[in-house]
Amino acid sequence: MTVYNIYIFDKSGILLYYNEWNRLKQSGMTREEEGKLMYGMLFSIKSFVSKISPTDTKEGFLYYKTSKYTLHFLETPSGLKFVLNTDNNAQGVRELLQQIYSQVFVEYVVKNPLAKLSEPIQSELFKTKLDTFIKQSPVYLTKAL
Amino acid sequence: MSDDAVFEFLHSELINYIISQNEGKSKEGKDEDLSNIEYIGFSTGYRIIERLTKEMPRFKDELDTMKFICTDFWSALYKKQIDNLRTNHQGVYVLQDNSFRFLTKLSSGKQYLEVAPRFVAFTCGIIRGSLANLGIGCLVTAEVQNMPSCKFHIQVQRT
Repeated sequence: MTVYNIYIFDKSGILLYYNEWNRLKQSGMTREEEGKLMYGMLFSIKSFVSKISPTDTKEGFLYYKTSKYTLHFLETPSGLKFVLNTDNNAQGVRELLQQIYSQVFVEYVVKNPLAKLSEPIQSELFKTKLDTFIKQSPVYLTKAL
Repeated sequence: MSDDAVFEFLHSELINYIISQNEGKSKEGKDEDLSNIEYIGFSTGYRIIERLTKEMPRFKDELDTMKFICTDFWSALYKKQIDNLRTNHQGVYVLQDNSFRFLTKLSSGKQYLEVAPRFVAFTCGIIRGSLANLGIGCLVTAEVQNMPSCKFHIQVQRT
């Protein structure tokens, strides 16, 4: 069970934060382009999912799974989007994302008087806390399988 | 439960407001704005101490007052106590708080050190106001070396 990387977007599509732990293959484009591609994909999938859904959607798009990795998605009511790529054995990632939002993001970014919410995150404290949080969660193991 | 968050947000907005007011005025208004914030803290402290100590008997001496500030007063405001109190028994007291509430969310270590004074000015004022209403005139300054720990220097003015 490993976490590969994390993206955080605000409601207008700006990539606020990106970090990777175990990424084995690079995508061959700059971080900015990758961020835009990711955001565009999320936006399209969310609207696709809600249109095609045969019943009423409660939460909408939650994750997608390939043979090698799973991409988990959380959108907050304020439009913040959290994307976490993990391997296929990960359990409880939804809670993990929820906790990252409430215990790390809100505490160290929203409550940081110097952090503007529409700019990439500069706070070292946030980066450290997020790192520690992910590493101590049961979803993360240092050995990439 | 959400009182904590409200107080923190209000405090940060207060600081942002004062700073932005002074950006219009002059470049070296840095020291001035802090005195505005400090005065707001002073009147707040002056009144809040009245409320907090209304049932309590008079303090035996200055040191006792200081201890009260470090324990009950700090817990009422910041939900924790002062970690270290030092004095030279000649009217100078140093209060050290190892995880000062307004600084814990900023950084741990050296990032943002230049802007730390803004966040402690209000608290300096609160201490000064409370002591003033208890009959102890003093001068309060703060020193931040390593976030989130912070030291308040209180110098009692003897007449």
